[in-house]
Formats: sequence, C-alpha cells, structure tokens
Amino acid sequence: MPFTINEACTGCGACLKVCPAGAISGEKKKLHAIDAAACIECGACGRTCPSVAVIDQYGKTAAMAKRSRWEKPEFKHEACMSCTICIDACPAHCLEMSEAKDSGNTHAYPYLKAEKACIGCGFCAAECPVDAIFMRTPAPREAKVSSDAVKEAAQ
Amino acid sequence: MNRGYMGKILMVDLSKGEFREETIRDEVYEKYLSGLGLAAYLLHDRIPAGADPLGPENVLGFVSGLLTGTGSLFAGRWMVVGKSPLTGTWGDANCGGSFSPAIKRCGYDGIFFTGASEKPVYLYIKNNKIELKDASSLWGKDAIESEELLQEQHGRGARVAVIGPSGEKLSLISGICNDKGRIAARSGLGAVMGSKKLKAVVLDGKKRIASYDQAAVRKLSKKCNKWVQFQLPLGPSIGAGLLGTLLRVLPTAMAMDGMIYKMILRQWGTGGLNQMSPEWGDSPIKNWKGSSTDWPLKRSKSADPDKIKRTEFVKYHCYSCPLGCGGKCSMTGKYSETHKPEYESVLALGGLCMNEDTDSLFLLNEMLNRGGMDTISAGATIAFAMECYERGIVTREDMDGIDLAWGNADAMVVLVHKMINREGIGDLLADGSRLAAERIGKGAHLYAVHAGGQEPAMHDGRQDPGFAVHYSVEPTPGRHTIGSQLYYEMFQLWKKVKGLPGKWPFQIYHKNTKYKASIDKAKEAAACSKYMNVINGSGLCMFGTFLGVTRTPTFDWLNAVTGWNKTPEEYMEIGARIQTLKQAFNIRQGVEPKNNKLSGRALGLPPQAEGANKGRTVPIDKMMEDYWQQFGWDSSTGKPTVDTLVRLGIDAR
Repeated sequence: MPFTINEACTGCGACLKVCPAGAISGEKKKLHAIDAAACIECGACGRTCPSVAVIDQYGKTAAMAKRSRWEKPEFKHEACMSCTICIDACPAHCLEMSEAKDSGNTHAYPYLKAEKACIGCGFCAAECPVDAIFMRTPAPREAKVSSDAVKEAAQ
Repeated sequence: MNRGYMGKILMVDLSKGEFREETIRDEVYEKYLSGLGLAAYLLHDRIPAGADPLGPENVLGFVSGLLTGTGSLFAGRWMVVGKSPLTGTWGDANCGGSFSPAIKRCGYDGIFFTGASEKPVYLYIKNNKIELKDASSLWGKDAIESEELLQEQHGRGARVAVIGPSGEKLSLISGICNDKGRIAARSGLGAVMGSKKLKAVVLDGKKRIASYDQAAVRKLSKKCNKWVQFQLPLGPSIGAGLLGTLLRVLPTAMAMDGMIYKMILRQWGTGGLNQMSPEWGDSPIKNWKGSSTDWPLKRSKSADPDKIKRTEFVKYHCYSCPLGCGGKCSMTGKYSETHKPEYESVLALGGLCMNEDTDSLFLLNEMLNRGGMDTISAGATIAFAMECYERGIVTREDMDGIDLAWGNADAMVVLVHKMINREGIGDLLADGSRLAAERIGKGAHLYAVHAGGQEPAMHDGRQDPGFAVHYSVEPTPGRHTIGSQLYYEMFQLWKKVKGLPGKWPFQIYHKNTKYKASIDKAKEAAACSKYMNVINGSGLCMFGTFLGVTRTPTFDWLNAVTGWNKTPEEYMEIGARIQTLKQAFNIRQGVEPKNNKLSGRALGLPPQAEGANKGRTVPIDKMMEDYWQQFGWDSSTGKPTVDTLVRLGIDAR
C-alpha cells in the first residue's frame, strides 16, 4: 500500500522536494499527489509534511517531525560483513564505504557520509541481513551525551 | 508480488528510440528462473536464425538475478547476453560489482536492446523516467573515465555499465565494465554494444525488492555468513605454491573442500593461486606449449600473492558479498590504482606469455580494464602471437617493429595499446587468436588455442579434464566458470540432490582415474552445468557457491525468496531446461556443437613431454558424447532430441 495525500495539503511542496523516488507531483499551493507505482514507502513525505496531510501505508496519518530528530543509522562494525547491501538500499544515496586503511584489516565499512541527505527511512537497517545497522534518534545537540548513555537509554 | 523478481523487462529499440515494458508471467520464472534463464527464454526466438551478431537484429540484454536484492548473500552478479560475435553461439558474460541490484531497482529483471542507434547514445533511467541521451562526448573515452564523467553528471548513486574504446571499435574480445574496472568480459559482447552505438547504461532507480519470507532469507544468510567469516591463519603465500608442488609430485589427488579455497580468496583473492596453479599443472604456460618446468616457483614469484597483497589498500566487495575477494591496489606510473589483478589476468598476461615483470601485470590489467578488453583473450592472443613470432610465421616487420619475444613486457604494453585502439598490427590481433590465425595464414592456426573461437581460461584440462569438457560442450564454449571435477567436489551437490555420485570429505584417489571417461564423470559434469544455470538464474557468485550447497544454501534461498516449494531435483531440472534451451539456440543459429571442441594442444594431443601434465591426454570425444547423453541430446551430434525438448516443456524449433 503506497502513501497518499489528503485534502489537508496546502501545496507547500516540501514533500515533493524530499521524496527520493520522484513519486510526488503537484503545483505550488495546489493539492499534491503520490504516484502509487513509484512510491517506495520510505515515509519521508509524512515526516516532512507541516500540514499532516500524508496517510501512510497502514492508513494512518503520518506524524511530522523536525528533520534533526529523524532517525539515523548507526553501524556495528563487529557484525558488519562489508557487503554493501546498505549502500544500495539507501534511496537517498547518503551512505558510502570508508576508504581508510586499518592496518591488518583492509575491509571498508559503511558510514553515513551525507548526514543531511539522510531521510531516516531505515531501509539500510531493514535490508542488512546480519543486523549490523540500528536506527537511532540523534541526541539533541544542546545536551550532548556519550554514545554509551544513548545505547543504555535505547535499551 | 513478493517473489524476489520484478516481473517486468524493458525493451529498448535503439533504431527508433522507443521503450516498451513487458510483463513476464509467473510461470516463466518457475520454468526458467530469472537472470540467464529468463534471458535464454526471451532471446531464443527474438534473435533471428542466422543473425549477424554485430547487426541490428542481434539483441543485447542486461539481466539481474532472482536472488539479487533479497538479502541473500553472494547475489551481486549481473549478466550480459546476446549472440556472441566471437563464437557465433549463445553468448553470455558474468560480472560482479554494483550494477546487478541497480537493474532491479529500476523495476526490471532485465533490460534488452534491439536495433542500433545512428549516433552514440546511452540509456539513463532515473526513478520512472527513461531516456536515451547523446553520448558523442563520451565516445572514445575509456571505461573508467566515462563512468566518472557519467557519475559526475548523474550523481554517485547512479550505477554505470559502459564500454571502452575496444568495444566501440568492435573488438571481438571486448567486454562491458562497471565499478571502474570490473568487466563482463567473455563472449565479445562489448562489440555488440559498440555495434549498437550504445556507450553506457546508467541506472538510478529506487524500487524495493520484496521476498516471500524475508525472515527465512535472513536466517539462511546469517548461517552462511558464519561459514564465510571462519578463517584460519594461512601463513605466507609461498605455502600455497609449495602445496602446488606437493600436489604435482603425489600420485594421488584429494577431493577438495571449498572452505579451503574460501580462505585463500579471503586472504589473497583469486590471485592466491598465482604460484600454486602453475606448479600442479592447473595453469597453462607459454601458450599451452610449456609446463610447470618452464614456470617454476622462482619465476612465478613475480606474481607472488603476498607481494600483490602488499599493494592492496582496501578490500573490494561486490554487492551482497560477505567475502570480498577483490581489492583496490596502488601502483606507480601513469595510473595510481587498479582493481587487484585477478588470477586469470595475472596468468594470461604472465605465465602464458612468460612475462615476469610484476609492474607490467598491474599496468596491463588497468589498461585492459579501461580499454574494456578481456584480459584472458588478450593475454592468450598475445601468447599466440609470441609463438608465431618465435617460429618466424610473423616477422618483426609484421609486428610494426615490436620485438615480441617471450616475456617482453614492454612489447606487451605497446601491443595491448595497439589492440585496444586497433592500430597497425593491433587491428589484426584485436579479434582474438582464431581470427588472427586466419588472417596470418601460413599454418598459424596450429598455435591458436581456442574452443569455438573463444580462448579458454587459465585452467588446464590436461590437469582437470572437467575443464576441457566444459570448454568444449557448453553452449558458450571456452568458459571456465561452469564446471570441472574440482568444482563438482566443491559444490557438494550430492548432499542435496538425489542420484549424484558422492565423495567423502577429503577423499583420496589415484590421479590416473581423473583421465578416464566414465558415466559418473558425465553425471558430475552435467550436474555442474545444471547447477551453474540455477546459480546464474539466481545472480549468485560462483565463488560463493564453492562453499558447498549446504553452506551456501542456493535452493533454500530460492524457496524462501519465491515462496515456491521446489526440491533440489526440481531446481536441477530447471538448470537442465536452461542448458537445453541455450543449446537449441545454437542449433537454430546453425552451430555445429562438435566444432566447438577445444584445440588439440590443450587436450594433450600430442601429450606433453615434461612437467605436471606429462604424458596426459583427455579422452575428449568420449567425454563429450557421454555429457550430451546425460542431457538427452543426440550423443553423436550434441543436438537436443525432440523427446528431450518435449519432456522439458521447451517450445523450440
């Protein structure tokens, strides 16, 4: 079930800009529409819509969130097999393999290169066959806590 | 749909500049899988009988695999298909990299090109928009440069398959590249792309690929990955070389377990065998005339795996590969880096030409990757030319003044440049050794080693007759990535498929038994062909499947992804159907299967007087007949019988 847009849409065009699949069309200040065949259900439109006009694949109204609070991938190198499945899964092309050589281990690992381009869809984590990627809401910038604390909080 | 496949293909008519989507029925996937099987099903009728491989009537296809993008491992192979201009037979070439999932992300299991464009173009698909764009500014540029320019324009997320100058100039040993130097090199399909004036295919789709039971797929993948990650310390690479010596000296051989090869691949890549293979007679030397005696460890150390590994700055993994046998290596000179030279490239440009210059191996590798030319065929053609030069069949004057003595690395660099650009003598050699021999005349054909026009790879049938059989009997002759006695041992199919000859772990047997034709050997060879068709329908990597069918669970993945409940025997039947259909394609094209028999020299006719394969001859005629019989093809002609076509449900005329 693809996402849809309802009458609450003000035609601001924010969803159109964020959609990585080019599935949304519509004129400025007019009701936008999602091409069902092109929609990949990444949810970026719903997270971005200020008018709460996007209906998700389960028929529920999608909740808008500040982009800085969208979930982002974290990589667990000890489980990662460097297979690049996540790189390919990312519709926003924001992941890359590291280039640096670690003496003794020349395998490259994925990392979030274009942090601002990440749409928080979680496809990378969903497609990783060995659970080496976790989606986490970034900690607010003001109250910077150590990553261990974040992990604890998540558990 | 949730069955792993996309259920659609894209047909691009380059003459008219038109696109057409076609829906493929579920039954087709059940009968032929996706990938190579789907391509064989589609192209059997669509390429007219007697088609000119370089004419607009040939169809060039890019296909992905059924398991690609589903969370299965080792599923990153894409295949190029069409009628081969090199052999005139069914042509296919297989390549890793990142292009395979890109095809499915555009919503297709395959993209097929008919007709020919008048001016250079490339296909660009972004999301749902399909365009043919002008490629005039890219024409003449090498494959890596072109890929970089296209990614500059369309973003780094765009995946690019592209030909180099050799494909543009219709070299019959040219291929198609992706990921800056990984190449679908065999069967000369780069020339087909060049003949259609199609410079590149650039894909940037975002479609999701859905499986029937994703949790089951992941469970299987996790288990498989545990085997892949298991690694023992292997010590310095000379150990592998000395193991080769031991295997040569011993009167017995041992059934190999793919875990050993997996560890070699993990440590060094395919190049781990650079010194071992020539030692035990697996790799041909000096245009198949020489032997292990001519290429001892002290000479093969020019391609010492540890030495090559020291230049590797990062491992390279194809899509969905947990193993990572590839690598990026630094080098000095004109180019700063290259994909780690593969075993085939190193031996074809090294031992086969008696070339001991390590730097030249890196340079030639990069030149051929950029030029878009097959390293195996290029190396073999140069080795052929070197022998003609030694025998005085061609003179230094014929060779544009190049001193083509055995092992002259500088001469090889000049010659490869000429071959890629079809300059001078390079024009004569750019279409492989069979055509070069025809052009030279004067009995040169005696020194061109090929099967049906394609140069066999660096695996010697005089050591493992299985290679000689597959070079000779396959619908795409001269290919080493389908079967051999060694591959059969590693696939371990008997553990899953009923009725196949079994082996004990590390079973020891006398070497002499390898060189006798038997029904069991024919069954093993047929099983390899069938299984490889299943693998190529799935888009799996052969190296991954070497772990054995229980560790790399091809059949289980297929059932979990598609929701079918097929038995291993049923999958093997699909493999037989694909094999028979490819053979029927050849018959329809007027190919005489017997004519694809490997050249006598490579079969031990006459036998070698020294070295690892001394005194050995492959009883090829009997082995070919036995093989054909296994498939229910006429054992004297290799043509599928009507009964067999009916039994397999193939509607081929």
